[in-house]
Amino acid sequence: MIIEAQGIKKAYQHEDRLFMAVDDVSLSIGEGEFVCIEGRSGSGKSTLLNIMAGLLAPTAGSVAFEGREYGGMDDSGLSELRRTRLGYIMQGYGVLPNFTVLQNVLLPYVLSGRGGGLAESALAILEQAGIRQLAQRYPSGLSGGELRRVAIARALLMSPRLLIADEPTGDLDEETASGIMGLFAAAAKNGTAILMVTHDKDAAGYADRIHTMKAGRLVPDAGSGQA
Amino acid sequence: MMEEGRMTFWGIALCNLKRRPFRTACLVTLVAALAFVLFSGSQITGSASNGVDGLSKRLGADILIVPKGYDQKLEGILLRGEPSAFYLDASWIEKIAGIEGIEAVSPQLFVASLNSYCCSVPLQLIGYEQSTDFIVEPWIKTALPKALADDEIVIGGLISGRTGDKITFFGREYRIAAKMGNTGTGFDASVFMNMDAARVAASDCAEKTGAAPPPDGSVSSLAVIVAEGFTASGVTGRINNEFDYGNSGVVPVAAKKIVDGVSGGLRALTGFFGALSAILWAVSLLVLCIAFSVMSNERKREFGILRSLGFTRKRLAALVLLESGAISLAGGAIGILLSAVMLLPFQTYIGEAVNMPYMQPTPAQFAATAAFALLLSFVTGPLASLPPAVKIGRSDAYTAIREGGL
Repeated sequence: MIIEAQGIKKAYQHEDRLFMAVDDVSLSIGEGEFVCIEGRSGSGKSTLLNIMAGLLAPTAGSVAFEGREYGGMDDSGLSELRRTRLGYIMQGYGVLPNFTVLQNVLLPYVLSGRGGGLAESALAILEQAGIRQLAQRYPSGLSGGELRRVAIARALLMSPRLLIADEPTGDLDEETASGIMGLFAAAAKNGTAILMVTHDKDAAGYADRIHTMKAGRLVPDAGSGQA
Repeated sequence: MMEEGRMTFWGIALCNLKRRPFRTACLVTLVAALAFVLFSGSQITGSASNGVDGLSKRLGADILIVPKGYDQKLEGILLRGEPSAFYLDASWIEKIAGIEGIEAVSPQLFVASLNSYCCSVPLQLIGYEQSTDFIVEPWIKTALPKALADDEIVIGGLISGRTGDKITFFGREYRIAAKMGNTGTGFDASVFMNMDAARVAASDCAEKTGAAPPPDGSVSSLAVIVAEGFTASGVTGRINNEFDYGNSGVVPVAAKKIVDGVSGGLRALTGFFGALSAILWAVSLLVLCIAFSVMSNERKREFGILRSLGFTRKRLAALVLLESGAISLAGGAIGILLSAVMLLPFQTYIGEAVNMPYMQPTPAQFAATAAFALLLSFVTGPLASLPPAVKIGRSDAYTAIREGGL
């Protein structure tokens, strides 16, 4: 297994009321597996993704990445994991305005402490994402679809073992969304495990497994996709 | 640093600064102003301090005796090199030497020169008695192995000319036998000659200008050294008692009083620049602190993205400190450079403006002051950005992402 979550709970205290954002969720994803989570807004999908990405600590339960439990890792260990083995595509565009497209894509590489190089790989990924011609452009002039592609290219640069994506096709037109899902499918084919949250039925269709979240709980598989 | 494929951590910080040029320029300007005041203030007070040091070292006498009413003129000669001429009867040498507590007395004769080809301003000619002198000789001996001949002079450090050159005063030519180093005092604009030569110069002066010549055998001042076991103030009081203070025609001036007066001025000058620097530093720190806090709030989204990409809390805090450090380093360097460019050509005018002995610092002092100003400016930025950096360093990744609206 690439990632394995057992009995995850996340509770928030809101005034005098305890709110369970994630309630006893267990989820495992193997190599090259494409898993999709659907659900209404506020059902706990994004909270679960953040826990799976090691960005948020659960109230109870455990998450293990390639056998290593998040609970045993400090901030440095979790950050290293996100730098090198886990690509995270956040909701929205998640692109830094002060850097060119190429620089944005290269950020994880810089953070991994390696000096130079890899520009060719970054350009190849941008080519794959269909935005190589934008490499030297700053994000301010790019469309939503182009920004999403930048974020995906950046997440794929370090050839992560797991790619976590939160609504990667939200507010995109059908054609752009299809292109992005093509990138995901190709990554899964290359062995990258994918965990994606979406409202988009077409996007979910690319998944091997589809789960639905309701009131913080993960209901049994709704079926398999076309990927 | 941020070319294709050559990104570095430092490059990330630089990119952030470059992409917000107006904000960066404002912050750099603020630190530059701080460095400018710090460096300028330190340079000016340092130069004045050097001058005061030079004065106390070079004065050589414990008491100086001048004609009544000329004590202020004496200060002008000693501190600022303002040419002046006044005379007292040579009989005062024996009278003063006879006072209890006096070890040595040596006369000097002052002659104010006209404009000479060598200098754009009048100079003070000072004749000294080589057989009794203890003021001039000790600090020109290394440059002047033998006694000065009647046509030889020693010039102060600010007077143009080299050893062996000739200078004409009142139509008479003199050979420069030695040139002294700068002292920061009025001596730098003075010309020294033996007493006989000074008497000839005084007589030449009278002839050329039509002024009254000095009475025969007269001198301008008496330099006095107090004997061991006596104090300058005690001996001054004794001189006043002995010669009917106020009516005797002479005034004893304790050298320490002159130095103390100048030191008091230096303290005031240092206090002024110290207070100005402290106020500016506090204001800079406060403004930068507010600016960095506001910037950190604006940048929550950016921090959230970086956390999701694997920036550790420490690395994020380090980025904030690095950016502020770069701002303050650039500001500090610019401020010091501007200050140096503006100060160096105007040293003479500044010296006149502060109205104190003024000696430009040595290159080592200059470098030390620059390093001090740079260091203080440099720490200001990181110090101001410490609160937001600590806050960022304490927030977890999810908080950064949520607060960034991601």
